Amino acid sequence: MIDELRQKARELLETGEVDLVIGYGEGSDPTRTMPVFIRRPEDCEKLVWNKYCYNNLTSYLTWPELKTRGKRAVVCKGCDAKAVVVLSKERQIDRKNVIVIGMACEGVGEPLLSKCEFCDVRTPKNCDIVIGPEITPLSKEKQFEDVEQLEARDPADRWEFWREQFSRCIKCYACRQACPLCYCTQCIVERNQPQWVPTSAHPRGNLAWNVMRAMHLAGRCIGCGECERVCPSNIPLMLANKKLAQVVKEQFGYESGYDIDEPLPMASFMPDDSDELFK
Amino acid sequence: MAEFKLNEGRLQELITKLRDAGYRVVAPVEEEGAFVFKEVTEPGQARLDVLRTARSIKEWFFPRVEPTLRYEFDGSAVRCESGLPESPQKTVIIGCRPCDAASLPMLDTLFDWDYRDEYWFRRREATTVISVACDVPDSYCFCTSVGGSPEGTAGADLLMRRTADGGYLLEPLTEKGRAIIEAGEGVLELASGTEEVLVGEVPQRFALDKVKPWLDQNFEHDYWKEISYKCLSCGICAFVCPTCHCFDIQDEADLERGVRIKSWDSCCFPIFTRHGSGHNPRPTRDTRYRQRVMHKFRYYVDKFGVTACVGCGRCSSSCPIDMNICSVVAGVAELAESSK
Repeated sequence: MIDELRQKARELLETGEVDLVIGYGEGSDPTRTMPVFIRRPEDCEKLVWNKYCYNNLTSYLTWPELKTRGKRAVVCKGCDAKAVVVLSKERQIDRKNVIVIGMACEGVGEPLLSKCEFCDVRTPKNCDIVIGPEITPLSKEKQFEDVEQLEARDPADRWEFWREQFSRCIKCYACRQACPLCYCTQCIVERNQPQWVPTSAHPRGNLAWNVMRAMHLAGRCIGCGECERVCPSNIPLMLANKKLAQVVKEQFGYESGYDIDEPLPMASFMPDDSDELFK
Repeated sequence: MAEFKLNEGRLQELITKLRDAGYRVVAPVEEEGAFVFKEVTEPGQARLDVLRTARSIKEWFFPRVEPTLRYEFDGSAVRCESGLPESPQKTVIIGCRPCDAASLPMLDTLFDWDYRDEYWFRRREATTVISVACDVPDSYCFCTSVGGSPEGTAGADLLMRRTADGGYLLEPLTEKGRAIIEAGEGVLELASGTEEVLVGEVPQRFALDKVKPWLDQNFEHDYWKEISYKCLSCGICAFVCPTCHCFDIQDEADLERGVRIKSWDSCCFPIFTRHGSGHNPRPTRDTRYRQRVMHKFRYYVDKFGVTACVGCGRCSSSCPIDMNICSVVAGVAELAESSK
């Protein structure tokens, strides 16, 4: 697969179809990889593909300094490619100017990240080029099991759970920075006249930040899990994201990152929208 | 100075002794799969075998959130109350590594430079630091490249070294360290001098003396762009770092009352240097990451004569995109060598 990836990337650069390939390169340790930006065909040898390709590289697509350049190619796992669908629907990228290279993926991490256990995009969808064999999708039947387990606890217990989890947040904002869909040029926490959200990493500030971050991703989060992976305090951020995904799925029959034409549930009104949420 | 022996399996007894002597004991403790320095409530929680905790010991001296002032306004008068801790609890931090301990004297200079930061010093005075020499360093460690050592004593009151028989050799370095030996009486015994200590090796990864002269001359160099284009601009590196000390001050207030809070800040955040006018002198990732390296390896040296990096490797190991400060600085040293 790696030879094919390097070959494709080289072709794209040589023919001038793209002027930049965003991919994975060798990391500082055999169990890590590092994003690489490749502009010269001869540098395509630097691309790697292995089970440590964690990062969702589509978060680079919305960077202002990269937006101004020409056409770009980005190497994606199936989960990452779902972000391209959302970015395109939210008019953050011009899909015509991005070549998505999807890599068939049997999961990343050792042991496998939990998101990989319920992956139905092991062969990536909505890509321009797919590299690697067709891989059978896994069942998503049990994807919300952890959410349901938490939900089975009584509200006071759940509150205590989240209070404790968020108390460990140090406000490094790595969750936001790693997220492909947190692309606001100025995040609300950086609005300081007035300071709408407390910047302090005290319990109140942490609750405000973490709840707001999750709510802002309702109906949008594609489940790449980068926020949770990068969190230096191991806060289970995906539990909150998944809960919201579950609500959106139940209420609107919508799953983020699959269908390029389906209207965005939080940004469109339909006369037959469920009123369940407003009871 | 005489050395003492803590035999295998007796660490919990020592911790109990210290708690009985009135110390709040802080050690690496597991928290949701990560190790952090926390107060030990059960002696068994302390994990002295942990090489690298998620965050450094700095939060026990310079907390991530610190109320410095509380005020109330009753319509006519303002009443203020200082947030300065009167007498911080007597504390012992046990199980930090020599790199973390070395960050303390380095920051003493900073916090006593143009203004003596009592928040820092009162906690420093109330705290005893027991470091544990590294028997198994890993590939992120580079203390020896920045003047440290896996058995360095800077900043420590007492140094513990692992022995081949599973125990520890304790070497008190200061009065505070000797007080720990006294508190541990009955658990500790005088060392025989024949113990075999286990100390790992940390290879030197770059020549520090090459770094500063190159940085002095190369503020504008393509290298900064090359290495930092992929930086996500999060604050992990600064927040896990034992020597990063920048903070932000904000008032959290309503019409009647407020708190003035000091919070950790990071030069990698785009808002860090944004002016009121909207102008930002460090508008890009490379200018911000350059600042991080320059501050540690150039400005701090100019101002205080020491490099503000202890080589703990935390920023590298926890960076979401695998930015490795040791490789970055080694790259500087190479450039310095090749541009001769």
